[in-house]
Amino acid sequence: MTGAWKLAFRNLRRHRRRNLVTGLAVAFGYAGLAILFGYGEYAERLLRTSSVYMQHRGHLAVYAKDGLRRAEAKPSAYALPPETQEKIVGALRADPRVELVGRYLLGGGIAGNGCKSFPIRTVGLEPDVEPRIVGHREMIDLWGADGVVPLAGRAFFDAPGVETPIALAPRLARYLEKDRAVSAAAAPPGAPGALDCDAPDIVGRLSGEPFVQLGARTQDGSFGAIEGQAVGIFRASSTEEAKTGVYAPLEVFQRLFDTDRVTYVAAYLRDHRELAAFERDLAARLREAGVEASIHRFDDPVANPFFAGTMAFVGGMVFFIVILVANVVAFSVLNAMTLAAIERSREMGTLRSLGFTRGQLRGLFLREAALLTALAVAAGAAVAVGAAALVRAVDFRFEPPGSGTPVQLHVMPSAGALAGSALFFLVLTLAATFVAVRRKAKARVAALVAEVAA
Amino acid sequence: MMAALLVLALGAAPTVPGAPDAKALLRDSDLRRGGFEKGVTWTLTVESTEEGATTTRSMLVRARDVDALAETLAPPRHKGETFLFNDRTLWFLKPGLRRPIAISARQRLQGEASNGDVASTNYVRDYEGTVAGDEAVDGEPAWRLDLVARTKDVTYDRIRYWISKQRRLALKAEFLTVGGDLFKTATFQYGNRVRVPGGEEIEFISAMTIRDAMGEGGVTVLRYSTPRPEAHAPSLFNVNNVVR
Repeated sequence: MTGAWKLAFRNLRRHRRRNLVTGLAVAFGYAGLAILFGYGEYAERLLRTSSVYMQHRGHLAVYAKDGLRRAEAKPSAYALPPETQEKIVGALRADPRVELVGRYLLGGGIAGNGCKSFPIRTVGLEPDVEPRIVGHREMIDLWGADGVVPLAGRAFFDAPGVETPIALAPRLARYLEKDRAVSAAAAPPGAPGALDCDAPDIVGRLSGEPFVQLGARTQDGSFGAIEGQAVGIFRASSTEEAKTGVYAPLEVFQRLFDTDRVTYVAAYLRDHRELAAFERDLAARLREAGVEASIHRFDDPVANPFFAGTMAFVGGMVFFIVILVANVVAFSVLNAMTLAAIERSREMGTLRSLGFTRGQLRGLFLREAALLTALAVAAGAAVAVGAAALVRAVDFRFEPPGSGTPVQLHVMPSAGALAGSALFFLVLTLAATFVAVRRKAKARVAALVAEVAA
Repeated sequence: MMAALLVLALGAAPTVPGAPDAKALLRDSDLRRGGFEKGVTWTLTVESTEEGATTTRSMLVRARDVDALAETLAPPRHKGETFLFNDRTLWFLKPGLRRPIAISARQRLQGEASNGDVASTNYVRDYEGTVAGDEAVDGEPAWRLDLVARTKDVTYDRIRYWISKQRRLALKAEFLTVGGDLFKTATFQYGNRVRVPGGEEIEFISAMTIRDAMGEGGVTVLRYSTPRPEAHAPSLFNVNNVVR
């Protein structure tokens, strides 16, 4: 430690009470911001993971041109035919940045239990890819190992021997009276035929069998239907999906819609930070292969307005709170340093008369501020990490807006957030200190000494 | 709520001077579109054209009063598919399904045709009608009726319906959303003749041409052939019997 830093440290100790108050303001401000950034990072990660893995958007999805808007309404023209699928899958698999590739068929229709029908939204998925997506480390990190298994029964890809396995969303399963039928303890199915839907035991009969009739408009415009066997209840990624979602192997829904097309092909990257570069390279590669396609990232406001809108809201909220905290801290430091400068006029005058330049005088105060900030930031970091650990230990769970599955709240800030906040506070306190002592440092020696004497 | 208000509004609207009773007009026009009390059978061919591609389906339709049973005959991959209209409940059945599926009359069957278009028409029961005008359709004098659905489970919310003054059969229809937007139009031809139980021979629908009015340009023609009055037992339309 140089002499200037030693002197600054000694001064800090000499004015312990004032510096403690100022340091606490900085420490709590820093802890608050670190937790806030931790929450912001958590919200981004939660939404990203939910969009990419739970909603099966991938980090980016390749549609036929205009397919995002029109593939479900007019699959014959805007869904991807097999030869195009092959080209896209080939281009994606050739890139080492891609971890997984999945093909998806989305559609709408109805599901019936023999008495009533309900509107559904179908998602056809590849049974060999889906287990790796559901069990992805990003999913398990956020939802936990227990949070990625079906709510009841089995996953549709985990039902060997079932010809047409389907998984139902929780509320849809309840509407169809199949929430108990998916468990192994359900009664054996009744004989085929129409049911007396007004019979007093109808709920028991419906919940005793796992069969669900699915109907939809086929690619050629006619009405098609298949019978599925509900094997489980999956965790929905949104409130809407909780009411209408049905998952099944891609081939099952291709049969229902009488098509060999898919709505989109999704790419799951090993590192999401490479998305922008990957998107550029993929667009070029598809152009070279003669594939006319629309590429939509998971954060595309058109493809995923919920993600974009929520992140904009979270960003706005964080920005507002940062401004608020920064003002409080800046004014606290400014106030404390102004008082210190006034109270320490005689000391400043003495130092000037001993040969200290104005710059050295300012440097002394800035060093004191830097040391105070470093200590306060260290204390604030400990508070933030402790608070985050406490939140984790409390195991507070909530259902994010638009999501159908509760998650555990985390506010643990990353090292980047801690370091960034520390830098921000350092700059803030140094600036406030500079403003507070600049005028005093400019004053003449006699005036400084006289001011105190008066 | 909206439908009730529309019914009230239409009920309060002044009727056209000299106009006949709307119910009587609808009853007569329904008869020429299959509304036989004891039963009627016909073969229906649905031919839809969308963006240059034509799809055809043929069905055997048996109707009695408010019930109807439509069995698909062709194409072979749809053979055995059955639509059962039980009053206002509509079931879809096909080989391989353990239970029938409750579907909506509004759902598209094929092209521009909704499921409800396949069955016999019972507008007198399903719609509140008001004679709203006196217009000619292709030179034929007709009454224009405004029809508003009495319940939500009928095929269309609102219909503008032109019924020939002289022949008392429907010539043209415009199908509207509950908000009043036109989304489909239909014209009717009557090249068939059937003898009703009283012995009188009446004109019977032979084609219904439905056109999309939303700009997609789709056209679907429903052709009715070999219509014949047949007494059908009510049990024919029992869903339990159909499933078996």
